[in-house]
Amino acid sequence: MRWLRLRAAPFSATLLAIALLSGTARLLRHSTVQAQTPPATQLSVYSPQTFYTVPLLNLNGQPYVGLAELLEPLGGVEARPDGKKYKLKFTPSGAHEMEFQFQDGKDNGKVKGDKVKLPSIFAIQDGRGYVPLSSVSELLSRALSTQIRLSPSARRLFVGNVGERLTLDLRKGTPSKLFVSFDSPVNPTIATEPGHIRFTFRREPVMSPVDHESYADPLITGANFSEHDGIAELDITGTSPLMANFADGGKTIIVTGAPPPPPPTPVAQAPPPETTVPPATAQPPKAPSGPRFLVLIDPAHGGTEVGSAISPTLPEKDVVLTLARKVQRELQSRGIAAGLMRNADIAITLDQRAISANAARPALYVALHAANSGRGVHIFTSLLPAEMVSSRDFLPWETAQSPYLDLSGIVAGSVSSELEARKLPNATLAAPLRPMNNIATPAIAVEIASPTGNVDDIASPAYLDSVAQSIAAGIAAVRGKIPEVRP
Amino acid sequence: MTRPIVWMFAALLLIAAGLGFYAYHLKTKVASEEQRLAQQSQAIVPPASGPTALVTLYVASDQDGGLRRSQINVALPQERSERARAILRALLGAYMQPGSQHPIGAGSDVRDVFLMGGDTAVIDTNAAFADAHPSGVLAEELTIASMVTTLNASDPSITRVKILVDGKERDTLAGHADLRRFYQASGIGQVLKDSQ
Repeated sequence: MRWLRLRAAPFSATLLAIALLSGTARLLRHSTVQAQTPPATQLSVYSPQTFYTVPLLNLNGQPYVGLAELLEPLGGVEARPDGKKYKLKFTPSGAHEMEFQFQDGKDNGKVKGDKVKLPSIFAIQDGRGYVPLSSVSELLSRALSTQIRLSPSARRLFVGNVGERLTLDLRKGTPSKLFVSFDSPVNPTIATEPGHIRFTFRREPVMSPVDHESYADPLITGANFSEHDGIAELDITGTSPLMANFADGGKTIIVTGAPPPPPPTPVAQAPPPETTVPPATAQPPKAPSGPRFLVLIDPAHGGTEVGSAISPTLPEKDVVLTLARKVQRELQSRGIAAGLMRNADIAITLDQRAISANAARPALYVALHAANSGRGVHIFTSLLPAEMVSSRDFLPWETAQSPYLDLSGIVAGSVSSELEARKLPNATLAAPLRPMNNIATPAIAVEIASPTGNVDDIASPAYLDSVAQSIAAGIAAVRGKIPEVRP
Repeated sequence: MTRPIVWMFAALLLIAAGLGFYAYHLKTKVASEEQRLAQQSQAIVPPASGPTALVTLYVASDQDGGLRRSQINVALPQERSERARAILRALLGAYMQPGSQHPIGAGSDVRDVFLMGGDTAVIDTNAAFADAHPSGVLAEELTIASMVTTLNASDPSITRVKILVDGKERDTLAGHADLRRFYQASGIGQVLKDSQ
């Protein structure tokens, strides 16, 4: 027995030693390296004003969403993490300010002074507050006092009375036609393969009362609706290749059999209707071809490319995304179409930005930056010699902005005047800024710094609102001088 | 729990605590060593060879968003590219002084200046110059403008300037200002003209 005890003692001690050393190593590692959890996926949010996506984070084995990132497109947000405490002031459009209070590691908090209990703990990571995705519906309905519908498995969130209900109507004939109708025009991505035509809705809040329909028809045999990863898909199945035509201004998609390929003949044939989508390809339907005035807003940086560190917990990429959304709202409220280069925390290279901007064919490109030094607002045009090149010629990539410098200068001057009118310190300069040199349309860049010299003031909602209003008003004032562009 | 296990447990606990203390000690030692090296590299001394001369520097100010003319005594070598390098090192040295109006990263340096065709200078900076440079459109533009304008002021025949980092072309200085292009001294002077 004594022998057994002596043998057992070193064995237990070895186990204890391993456990202790492993525990010490874990403690040491934890004290120096902060654990990073890769992002899970993203949540698509549809509201009456806008569509946007918010990255989801995998924490405690479930998806979490950044509270500030979720609320920002819906109103003014001022988030202040203070150690383990997290306070967020939220002012929805046309409503009063309210406060969210949570604490890292606790599952209870307050919204508008009322106690709320989260299904799981609140988490603070890198100065950002995260709530469980499953709590979003309750938090938003308390904050916005409106109906919120969340589909956690599909990663789709509907704010208010938003939603495009699709209806299916099969009209039998030779060939049969399936009419897919919506309340307003839609612009899905279309993919076809033998026996299938699939519509993918990324930006539209498309919903369906049924998931599956079967048809006793020799051509169209069924329709399947599904939602996943923040998108909705409608898959029409048939016995032969299918094609889609858009009708009623994009509110109706007519699915029918694709005509057989034409036999090889030298006789000229009439071109197919413009709205016909040929099978065996994946492409969006043709957009209206009239000239339009679109402002493309490019919030700089994103993803792992954080830009300048405004403060230890506030990177440039976040400040400019907030500002970009405000500028978009201000422009839209002035009747000007505005799009965002990114509406989420994603990385886009400089060349990709230029390529996307030129492909979108905007009438004006506005890049947004933020700096942790200096004061006020700087408006930049490209530092290039103005060249006597027609914008209708092929333009060299490195100097594509040259023919547009005069118009860019007009916009910069107008924005500067609006900033001046709001008593915001500003200056207009030329800068060797990428990717502005590669943009083949009038282009400006706006870099904001603190209005007071205190960097914390840079993200103040009042300051950002004022800058956004100045940019939008400046653009609206010279809209008549900037040519519309045919997409 | 028997007595030997208790002793063994206590001994292991002591070892674990000792290891933890040692790891913390190593961490602080590495941090202080890095700080010491950074402080050492801040002191960029212009080359001692050559007679001292008064040179004009165009020094950037983040608050003003412009360049200010100032003069400084620098020991200047006879060789033209070495002279240009000495002047640029003096400029970067000014930015690394405490209280600088346009601070740049510690350890920033000019490795070489190559003069080509009489009017073109290629400045080869070290990695610290770009890697630790404050990120921002204006901050980066001011650095480039001050280098180009200072070089042009000291040697008016230099009208085109390109900046390399560690001997290689780089897309941007710190995410904003284009480093793939040649800068014309007259063009980048717009920063001076517009902001003063």
